[in-house]
Amino acid sequence: MYRSKRTASTFAGNFILSCLLLIFSSTVSAQSLDEIHKQALKEGGTLNFYGTLAQINAEKILPVFEKRFPGIKVNHVDATADKLVARAITEARGGRVIGDVFQGSLENGLQLQQQGLLMERVLPEAAAYPDSLKGKDWIASNVIYFVGAWNTGLVKKEDEPKGFEDFADPKWKGKLIAEPRDVEILIGLSKKYKSEEQAIALLKKIAANNPEFHKGHSELAEFLVAGQAAACFTCYSHHFPLRIKKGAPLNYFLSEGAAAVDSTTILKGAPHPNTALLFARWAASEEGQKAYAQGGRTPAHPKIEPVEKTRPEKSYFVGVADIKEWSKYERIWKGIFNLR
Amino acid sequence: MSTLALPRSARDTLPLLRDPALLVPLVGAGVLIYLAVLPLFMLLLGSFQAEVAPREFVYTLKNYQNAYASEYTYSTFRNSLIFASGSAALSFILGTLLAWLTERTNTPLRAIFVPIAVVPLILPGVLESIAWIFLLSPKFGYLNVWLKYFFGLQSAPFNVFSLPGMIWVHSVGQVPLAFLMMVAAFKSMDPSLEESAMMSGGNTWQTLRRVTLRLLMPTCGSVLLILFVRTLESFETPALIGIPARIYVYTSEIYLAFNEYPPDYGRGGALAVGLLILSAIGVWLYTRSTKEGKKFQTVTGKAFRPRQFDLGPWRWAGFGFLMIYFVFVVLLPFLVLLWASFLPFFAAPSWDALQKLGLDNYRYLGGFRPFWEAMKNSVILATLTATVAMVLTSLVAWIVYKSRLPGSWILDFLAFVPITIPGIVMGMALILLYVAFPIPIYGTIWVLLIAYVTRFIPYGMRSASGSIMQIHSELEEAAAASGASWWETFRRVTLPLLRPGFAAGWIYICIVSFREFSTSVLLATGESRVLSILLFTMFEQGQVTVVAAIGILMILTLLAIVGVFYKISGRVGLQT
Repeated sequence: MYRSKRTASTFAGNFILSCLLLIFSSTVSAQSLDEIHKQALKEGGTLNFYGTLAQINAEKILPVFEKRFPGIKVNHVDATADKLVARAITEARGGRVIGDVFQGSLENGLQLQQQGLLMERVLPEAAAYPDSLKGKDWIASNVIYFVGAWNTGLVKKEDEPKGFEDFADPKWKGKLIAEPRDVEILIGLSKKYKSEEQAIALLKKIAANNPEFHKGHSELAEFLVAGQAAACFTCYSHHFPLRIKKGAPLNYFLSEGAAAVDSTTILKGAPHPNTALLFARWAASEEGQKAYAQGGRTPAHPKIEPVEKTRPEKSYFVGVADIKEWSKYERIWKGIFNLR
Repeated sequence: MSTLALPRSARDTLPLLRDPALLVPLVGAGVLIYLAVLPLFMLLLGSFQAEVAPREFVYTLKNYQNAYASEYTYSTFRNSLIFASGSAALSFILGTLLAWLTERTNTPLRAIFVPIAVVPLILPGVLESIAWIFLLSPKFGYLNVWLKYFFGLQSAPFNVFSLPGMIWVHSVGQVPLAFLMMVAAFKSMDPSLEESAMMSGGNTWQTLRRVTLRLLMPTCGSVLLILFVRTLESFETPALIGIPARIYVYTSEIYLAFNEYPPDYGRGGALAVGLLILSAIGVWLYTRSTKEGKKFQTVTGKAFRPRQFDLGPWRWAGFGFLMIYFVFVVLLPFLVLLWASFLPFFAAPSWDALQKLGLDNYRYLGGFRPFWEAMKNSVILATLTATVAMVLTSLVAWIVYKSRLPGSWILDFLAFVPITIPGIVMGMALILLYVAFPIPIYGTIWVLLIAYVTRFIPYGMRSASGSIMQIHSELEEAAAASGASWWETFRRVTLPLLRPGFAAGWIYICIVSFREFSTSVLLATGESRVLSILLFTMFEQGQVTVVAAIGILMILTLLAIVGVFYKISGRVGLQT
């Protein structure tokens, strides 16, 4: 009797405690963006944004945030993700944290995690996202699709590729261009075939066509326009609609593509923590994701559709588990194409 | 009373400190140690550190093993040597020829080629590499396409993605440096020795070879040395052309080491230390050659005016060379960029492309806030860096060559050291230094100013020392004998005589600061971003035609700055 009474009182106690915790945590999570905005203003109104957003996207997305939250100015430190990671690591090495938010590929975001540089924070907005698009210290900002693209002036209509396998045809010898760091293609194809060997075999056939490698996806797209190569098998789908609208002789397939994630993370010890939180929550919210879609990116939020045609019919998703095996895949990728 | 209160040693030292002839060297040494040695110390420290866990370091020699005993060591060394010596030789030959033809001969229309010869210097390295990729790419390069079309060739005659391609692109960017330095030297030469040679029966070529060039030997040596080391530490061409072509040199290895995950500061630092040693060998050779400096002093108390060589009918060959240089090296890259700046995307000249030309890129830049912020930062930094560096190096050059203080060669060495630190490594060293520095300048344009001044001290030093070596001590001795103080002598005798070198150095440093990017890429944040970084990030993001428009506006801005300075300097002795 005593035992059951005690159990009951313990249960009641736990229940009250849980309720209190729930009330408390919901108070924290339910804190509106406008309330965080007020706290952010007290921090000085600056966000040090280490982001890989191209200017062409940033100039459409970041002003929406600044307009929505008057008094906050985004100091956009833009470079490629590897350089931004190197910068954050170096600053941490010097004992300082200068960036508030890092936004770039998940692979690079997880490198910061590995270095212990990320703040763990699950955002209320994360509830709308599937598990594959969020973690304890990151949330997807947009999805990148790796597809095939070509110069319509150099590729006849009947020769246009329909999928990755078409690039194995010897007719592409000396006509292909690619990005040397796109291990995602190997991982994506391994998922497509459910076999690494088959993916490797296909890529070896593509390698036999002696593709030319250039760093930077936007640069690849520009080289394609200029005619440096006839086709590209590691291009970003969101790079093409705008260029095609401008009249560039380009086209791309959306039958299939490897998919990877750009992540938003808050740096541990960020000098403007509330401003960082405000941005991270806004970027993950429906309104923020609409801004990303308008800015030319493929939103990650399940409810928000991209403005342009960028999502392939079939996509092979590269997730956290795959990234953990990155070095293995990278070794294979470099071996296939004889890269350093 | 107060003197009595001081300890004996302080009483002895204070009057010494009041003497500028001693105070100036001490201050100069202090500044140089702060600018050149501290980052170097960070670099050295880093080269012996290995990160065993995030932010946990141990001291080791393994970095050197990784850097110099890898399977790529030999090819990297060989590529670097060929790239640096090839570029130094080619740019020196072109620069000297241009300087001689425009300054010392009767080549027709030579005066208009003087500003033209400096134009390639104005093209930022990134932009220049892009322009030459567009001209010499085997697939779509205009020159290749046209040559194939006109001569019915099966394959492209040029391939920019090769070692000779790298040498060419880097050399044409360096020609103005050689040109400016050789112009200063040609301008400052007393023609009496040449006249003696001519009067003794020597013809133009004999006089040029046996007198003019021999008198210029120390300058030639220092110019070649600068070109060699500068190529060795350059990063733009190796990054934009070398890496895609899989031709790796020291700087690209360092760059790759810093950009791998996690960044390998140790290996990068060890590679940079290797560059320092190579450069130290260069300094040693240089010091040896300038010990003979006194024999080459040609600016004396006597009035003179550099004489002109009469080339006879050969002057038209000189004119032909200048025209070919102008059309193919200066005009063509500029035209490619100009053409691209009016296009919505890059395309070869055609009727179709002609219809797409417009001012959209310029309109876009008009309302593009980062462009105007970067423009403001770049102008401020370029003019400030040039002024600070030239004042500092004029003082240091005087100390080294005129003060006769024991150990002054250390200052010369210190002032030369930064040339050996690749821009990207300097950026990394300064981040490590200033990220934890008590004065909060990290992330502002002031850390960039420190970086630029440090990096360009060697160039200022070469300009200033080249001029100071030619000033005979008799002029200063005469001033001192007439009762002038040290400061009066420096201000009223030395400085005015230094003006041609000062002006040439100022222009050069202003331009290289304006286009500098390999240090800025690590140090410039959003707010302190400069034009070259905006250019680079936008190129990486594929906005090639906007990059071309920024490039054109950069060139126009620099031309304006240089034009104003040239006008002013005309009054102070640069122009004859």
